[in-house]
Amino acid sequence: MKISNIQRVKRTKIRLIAIFSFFVFLFPTSLLADGGGLFKAKCATCHQPHKNGTGPKLFEARKRWEAAGEGDLIVEWVKNNAKLRASGKSARAKEVFEQYKGSVMTAFTDLKDEEVISILDWVDAQPDPAAAAAVGTGNVTDGASETTEEEEGGNMWMWIILSTIFITIILSVGGVRRQLKISAGESSTQDDQSYLSEFKTWAWKYRLPFGLGVLVLVLSIIVTLFQGLYRINVVENYQPSQPIVFPHDRHAGVNGIDCKYCHNSVTKSKSAGIPTVNVCMNCHKQISGEGKPFAGEIKKIYAAAGWDPSVPGRYTGKTKPIVWNKVHALPDHVYFNHSQHVVVGGIDCKQCHGDMTKMNEAVKVQPVAELNKIEGNIKLTKPTLTMGWCIECHGAKNVSLGDGKNGYYDEIHRRLRDNDKSLYKKYLKDGKVSVSELGGWECAKCHY
Amino acid sequence: MARKYWKGLEELKETTEFIKHKENEFPTQQTVEAFLSNDKLDETSTGRRDFLKFLGFSVAAATLAACEAPVTKAVPYVVKPENVTPGMATWYASTYYDGASYASILVKTREGRPIFIKGNKDFGLTQGAVNPQIIASILGLYDSARLIGPTENGKLVSWSSVDSSISKALKSAKTVSLLSNSIISPTLQKQIDEMSAAMAANGQILNHIQYDAISYSAIRQANEQNFGAAIIPSYDFSKAKTIISLGADFLGTWLMANQYVQQYGLTRNPDSKWMSKHFQFESFMSLSGSNADYRGMIKPSEQAAVLSFLIKGLGGNCAVASTLNTPTKSIADQALKSLKSSKQSSLVVCGSNNVSLQLLTNQLNQLLGSYGTTIDLTNDVKLFKSEDAKVIKLANDVISGKGPDAMLFMGVNPVYSLPNGEAFGKALKKIKTTVSFSGFADETASLCSYVCPDHHALESWLDYQPTNNHYAIAQPTIRPIHNTASVIETFSVWSGKSIRLGKDSSTAYDLIKSNYSERFPLGDFAYSTHNSCETVPGNLNVLTPFKNGVLGKLPSAGALEVVLYQKGAIGNGQHASNPWLQEMPDPITKATWDNYITMNPVEMKQQGFVTTYDQEHGLNLATVSVNGKKVTLPVFPLPGQALNTVGIALGYGRGANGEAIGKAAFQTKEYGGHDLDEKGGLKPIGANVYHFVSTENGNLQFDTTGSLAKAEGMYAIASTQIHHTVMGRHSIVRETTLPIFTSKGKEAYNPAHTLQKLNKEGHHEDVPNSEFDLWDAHPVEKIGHRWGMTIDLSSCIGCGSCLIACQSENNVPVVGKDEVRRGREMHWLRIDRYFASDEEATIGQRKDKDTFSYDKAEIAAENPKVIHMPMMCQHCNHAPCETVCPVLATTHSNEGLNQMTYNRCIGTRYCANNCPYKVRRFNWFEYPSYKKFTEVNPAQDDLGRMVLNPDVTVRTRGVMEKCSFCVQRIQSTKLVAKKESRMINDGEFATACSDACPTNAIVVGDWNDFKSSVYSSSKNDRSYQALEEVGAKPNVWYKVKVRNEDNELLSSLQKEKPVAHHEGKKAHH
Repeated sequence: MKISNIQRVKRTKIRLIAIFSFFVFLFPTSLLADGGGLFKAKCATCHQPHKNGTGPKLFEARKRWEAAGEGDLIVEWVKNNAKLRASGKSARAKEVFEQYKGSVMTAFTDLKDEEVISILDWVDAQPDPAAAAAVGTGNVTDGASETTEEEEGGNMWMWIILSTIFITIILSVGGVRRQLKISAGESSTQDDQSYLSEFKTWAWKYRLPFGLGVLVLVLSIIVTLFQGLYRINVVENYQPSQPIVFPHDRHAGVNGIDCKYCHNSVTKSKSAGIPTVNVCMNCHKQISGEGKPFAGEIKKIYAAAGWDPSVPGRYTGKTKPIVWNKVHALPDHVYFNHSQHVVVGGIDCKQCHGDMTKMNEAVKVQPVAELNKIEGNIKLTKPTLTMGWCIECHGAKNVSLGDGKNGYYDEIHRRLRDNDKSLYKKYLKDGKVSVSELGGWECAKCHY
Repeated sequence: MARKYWKGLEELKETTEFIKHKENEFPTQQTVEAFLSNDKLDETSTGRRDFLKFLGFSVAAATLAACEAPVTKAVPYVVKPENVTPGMATWYASTYYDGASYASILVKTREGRPIFIKGNKDFGLTQGAVNPQIIASILGLYDSARLIGPTENGKLVSWSSVDSSISKALKSAKTVSLLSNSIISPTLQKQIDEMSAAMAANGQILNHIQYDAISYSAIRQANEQNFGAAIIPSYDFSKAKTIISLGADFLGTWLMANQYVQQYGLTRNPDSKWMSKHFQFESFMSLSGSNADYRGMIKPSEQAAVLSFLIKGLGGNCAVASTLNTPTKSIADQALKSLKSSKQSSLVVCGSNNVSLQLLTNQLNQLLGSYGTTIDLTNDVKLFKSEDAKVIKLANDVISGKGPDAMLFMGVNPVYSLPNGEAFGKALKKIKTTVSFSGFADETASLCSYVCPDHHALESWLDYQPTNNHYAIAQPTIRPIHNTASVIETFSVWSGKSIRLGKDSSTAYDLIKSNYSERFPLGDFAYSTHNSCETVPGNLNVLTPFKNGVLGKLPSAGALEVVLYQKGAIGNGQHASNPWLQEMPDPITKATWDNYITMNPVEMKQQGFVTTYDQEHGLNLATVSVNGKKVTLPVFPLPGQALNTVGIALGYGRGANGEAIGKAAFQTKEYGGHDLDEKGGLKPIGANVYHFVSTENGNLQFDTTGSLAKAEGMYAIASTQIHHTVMGRHSIVRETTLPIFTSKGKEAYNPAHTLQKLNKEGHHEDVPNSEFDLWDAHPVEKIGHRWGMTIDLSSCIGCGSCLIACQSENNVPVVGKDEVRRGREMHWLRIDRYFASDEEATIGQRKDKDTFSYDKAEIAAENPKVIHMPMMCQHCNHAPCETVCPVLATTHSNEGLNQMTYNRCIGTRYCANNCPYKVRRFNWFEYPSYKKFTEVNPAQDDLGRMVLNPDVTVRTRGVMEKCSFCVQRIQSTKLVAKKESRMINDGEFATACSDACPTNAIVVGDWNDFKSSVYSSSKNDRSYQALEEVGAKPNVWYKVKVRNEDNELLSSLQKEKPVAHHEGKKAHH
C-alpha cells in the first residue's frame, strides 16, 4: 500500500494537490490515505466512487443513508450486511439489497468502525471525474509495443565498420608507400618482393612487440568468442510484443493492485499464472475507459470475455482466449516453483521481476543490473534467468533456521544442530546458513 | 583345483559358436567399404564434398537457430474452472471396471487431463490395490485409434442420424439380442430393463445375455446346486491361515484379484502373529503359484484327484479317485496337515470352469467350515455373470442363420473371443441390424453396421454394485475427448426417455443421481462421489443350507493337456493395443510383446527343443492342435510347468484382419513401420487361442487337451531376463523359512557381511563391511532428509503394478520388441525373477559349498521356488556410478539421492558399466520422434503425448536415465510441508511404485525421521542390502523372503553361529 501511495503522489500530482488543498484542513492526512487504501483493497472490486457497478456508487452513500434516516447504520451495513438485514431494523438495508439482488455484498467484519468511516470520508472527498475529465491521463503511452533491440549489437556493427575503415586506410597507405618506393627506384634490386615477404621482414624486425600483439589478439578473440557463447540464449531484456498493451504501472502502481490479486496462483502453484479474463472483468466490468485513449485495449478484454458493454451485465457466451507471448520462459528441463520462492522463501515479486509499478511498457526480462537497484536485493552478476543467476542467489541467500518461524526448518535445524555440530559450524562460518548449504545447489532440486 | 573364470556358459563350455566369435570380438561383418558401397547410398546423389557442405551449413544454421529463443505462447483460461490451478494436480476418486478388473481408484489430473491412476487406499472395495491393466488404462484414453464419433458402415455420421436409423431398425425388429459383459451398473441395468419393457409392450423381445470372455459360470452353478443360489461369494483371504488354490491365479487374474491380492498381502508378514500357508496345485506357473509356499505340479485333469484326496483326508465322502503321484502326494499331505490345524480359517479355491470341480471345492470348503468365515455367501459378487450356454446357443443360431433381427454388443468382442468367433463374424452380416458400443473399430465393431462409441471409463459417469453390500460411483476426470456418448444415455434415448445432448450431456449423471437418491434417501451424492463409494445395508438372504451337488463330467486326461491362461498385463486381450502393457515383462517368463507355448525345459530337452534364448538366438516353433484347430507359436522354457502340459496365454492375436484397434497391437519392423504379411496385411502380436476354448456342460473350458508337433523355424523372443537363477549368491536374494525365522536369530538367516582384517595382535578378525571404506561418508545420516526404501520380498508378489506406475509417472519411453530383444528396455524399475536350482537348498543358499557346480546351478529346478525382486536405483551413498562420471552429471544429494542431470550427461555410459545393480538405462534413440518408435511410443502422437507427466523431463537421445526415487514427488511433498510450516509426516511421501504396490511391500520415507515406518523397517532383523559386499551403501533395503514351509536342509544350513571359514575347513580334514 505504501508504494502505491508514493506512486500515486508521483503520478497524479495535480489531482492530489487539488484534493489536498480542498480537504487538508478537514481531516488528518493519515486517515485520508488509510481510507483510500482500504477502499482499493476492500471495495474497489465492486464499487466505484461515482458510478454504479456491481454495487452502488459510494460517493455520498452516507448522505443517502442519512436521508433515509439511518445514517448510523451504514457502518453496520458495511461490516455485516446480512446481519443487519436479518435484524430487520433497517429499511434502507432492505431497499439496497432489493436493488442489487443479483449480488450479495461480502461481510467485512474485520473492519473497524473508524476504518469504515475513513473509507466513506475518502470516497466523499473524490471529485467527480466527469468534472475533472481533463486531469491525469497523460501517462498512457504506446511505448509498450516498442521493442528494444540490443544496443550492444548496434555497437558491435559500429566497431566492425570502423575497423574495416581503419584496415583499409592502413593498407592503402601501405600500398601508396610501396608504390612510391617502387617509383622512386629504391627497391629495384628486389622487384619480386611481395607484400608477404615485406610483411615477414617487418614482423621479424619487430618480433617482440609483434609477437605480443598477436598473442593479445588471439587471446582477446578467444575471450570474445567465449563471452559470445555464454550469451547464447541469454534472454535479458527479452520483450515480446503482447496482444493487449497492458500498463503494469497503472494497475500495480497508480491503482496499487497487489501482484497476487491477478497472478493469484503464485502462492499455490509452480506457475504464477497469467490472470484469466474473469479476473480482469472483476474490475473492468466497471472500468470501460470510455473516451480514454486506452479504451480500445479494454475492448479487447470484453471481446475475450464475451461481454457486451452496451447491455451491462450481459455475457454473450462467445469467448475468445487471449494469446499472450510468454516473457519468462524457462527451458523444459528446469523446474521452477513460484510458491516455493514467494511463500517459503518470502521473496517479493519485484526482486526477480523488477519494479512493475513503474513499468509502463510491455513486460520484459529485467536485466540483472536493473534488479540490483531494487532495495534489499542481493547484488548478482550473472544475467537474469540464467542458471548462474539462480546459483548465485542460492549461494548468497540465507535460510532462517530454528527461529520458530517455520516448523519445517526448525526440524531441519534441530537435526543439523544435534547431530553434526562441526558441519553446522562450518555452515555458520559466514554467519548464515545459505540455501546452497541446505542443498540448493544440487542438480535434482531443479532438474528432474 | 585351479580356478576358472568365465563370462558366460558359452565360454565355460567352449561351444563352437563361442570359439568362432571369440576371435572376432568386434564383429566386422560389414566393412567400411561395404557400407560405403551400399546400393542405397549410391542412389542418393549426394557426393562427399556436397555432404560436407551440407554438414557445414547445417551446423552453422543450427548454431544460429539455437541463439534465437522461440516465442512461446501462453493462453490463460477465459474463466478459470474452480478446481483447476495451472501447475497443480487435482485428484478425483473414481471406480474402474472394464468387465474383468474392478478397483476403487484415484485419478491425478493436470490442467484437466488425467495422467496417473493409483488405488484408493482410504475408500472402496479394493483397499488401494490396482493391477497393471488399470494403471495403464490411462494410456488407453489417449489411444489415437479410438473412434471419434458414431459410425454407420464404417463412415462417421452424426448422433442424430444413427439414433434415428437405429431406433427405426429396432422398432421393426422382432427379436433383439443384447450381448454385453457382466453389467454391474444399477443405472445401466435399469436402462436396459426399461428398454426391454418398452419393447415387450410392442410385442418385441429384447434378449439380454451377459458374456465374459473368461467365464466363471461354473462357480455360480456349483453354488446353485449347493446353496440354491447362483452366486459368486466374497472370499476373504485375509482370514485364511491355509490357502489352497487349484490353478486359480487369485493374485493375478482370477475373479476379484485386486481385492484378494491386498488381503493376501496382509497374511504374508512374518513379523505378525501368524502367516498364511499357501499351497498351489497347478500346471502352468502362475503368479500365484510363484508365490506359493508349496507348489504341486499337476495336470488340469488331476485337480479332481487332489480335491478328492483332501476331502477324504478330512473325513469326507468322495467318489472320485484320489491317487496322486509321489511328489504331489507329499505336498498334498502337507496341505492336509495344515488344513487340519486351521479349520474355520482355511480357504480352497479352484480356477477351473468345470462345475464338478467347483462342487468338489465347495464340498471341501464346507468340510473346513470356511463358509461364514473365509467365504461370505451373504455378500455376493455381482461381477462375472456370464451365461455361457446362452452365449454359445446365440452364436450357433447366428452362424446357422437363425439369429435375431438385431444385435447389440456392449463391452464384448465375441468375434475375437468366442471359440467359433471367426464363423460368428462371417455370419454377422446375415443380421439386419448390428450395433456395437465399442470405443474402437475392433473385430466385432468393424463388422457391425453401426458403432455408437461409449465414453472411456475415465470420461463417464457410472455407478456400480460390485458386491451386494457395496455401491460405487465412477466420475469423469476429463471432458470427453471425442464425440462419444454414455451407453446409459444411448439406451435412454433409444427408449424415447431422453433426447441426445451430445458429449457434454448430463443425462447419465442425472439418471445415476436420481437412482442414488432412490436407493439412499438420506445419502449425499456429492459426498459419496467424493469417497467414490457407499455401503449398501442388508445381506443376501436367499440361501438354503449346504446340499451336496451331483458330480458331472470331470476334465478328461490327455497325452498333452493345454492350459489357456491370462497374463497379468494383457488379460483377456481388451488392452492389447496398450504399449505399456505389451512391453511389461511377464511376471514369470519376463517375455514381452508375445505369447508362446510354455513347456517345462526338462521336457523340451527330451523333445529336442532349444531351451536357451537371447538377442541372437530364438526359440523353436511348434504347432499345437486342439480339436483340429492349429496354432504355431514359439516354445518357451518355463520351469515349473507340469510335464505333459503346455500353457498358452489368451488375449493375443488381436486385430488379425488389421482392425484399427491401435498402432501398438501389431508387429513392427526393425527400422519402424508395421511389419506386413504377404498379402500386405498387418501382423498381430502373438496368436489368438480363444478357438481352443472348449465347452463342457455349457460352460467355457480353458483347460483342454491336444497335441504338439515341432514346426520349422526359430522365433526371436524379447525377454528382459535370460538368466534365471542367482547361482547361489545369497548377497542378492535371501530366503528363509518361517520355522527358522521364528526360532533362530538374525545370524542364521540374515548374517551381516564381514571381511577379514588383521587386528593388533596380528590375527585375522571378521569385521563388518563398513570398516572398509574408500570414501568419506556423505553427510546424509541424521541430517536433513535421507530418503530410504525397504522392499519386503515376503510380500512382493511380482505383479508388475509398480513397473507400470513408474512408467506412467516418469514418462518412461516404450521401445518396442526389437529393442527389448537387444537389452535396451528403458524401464526404471525391473522385477528380477529368480528360480531355484537343484544346487541350492533355497534360492541363493548353496546346498553344499564344496560340491557346488556353477554349471548345474545355472539350470532352474524342474519345479523351482521363485523369488520376485524389484530392482531399481539403490541410491547408494557410495555410488560407484558417481565416481566415474567425467562431467559430474550424476551426483549425490545431501538427502541421499543419486541425482541424474540429463543436460550435463554426455553419454559415456561409464556409470552404467560401473553400476553393480545394472539399473541405469541409456537413451539410444530419440524415442519421441525417431521413426522406429512411431508405432510403439505413445509420445509420438499428439493425443498419446497428453499422458506425459509435465513435472518430469522427457529425456533426449544420448543421455543416461534411471530411477530418481520420484524426486518430483519428494520436492512437492517437501514444499507442501514447508508451506504448512511443519515437518513431513510419515507416509506423506510415496513413490509411484510404493503407491501402486497392492501388498504394501514397498515402504518409502524419510530415514532420518526415526519414528518413520521406513526407519523401523530398515532396522528389522530381516533387512539387508543387496550386494552388501560391494560397499556401495544403498539407501534401499530388502527384507528376507520368508516362506512358510518346512525345509530341513535349509534349517541345517542356516545356523545361528556360522562356522568360521578356516574352522570349517579344518573340520573337513
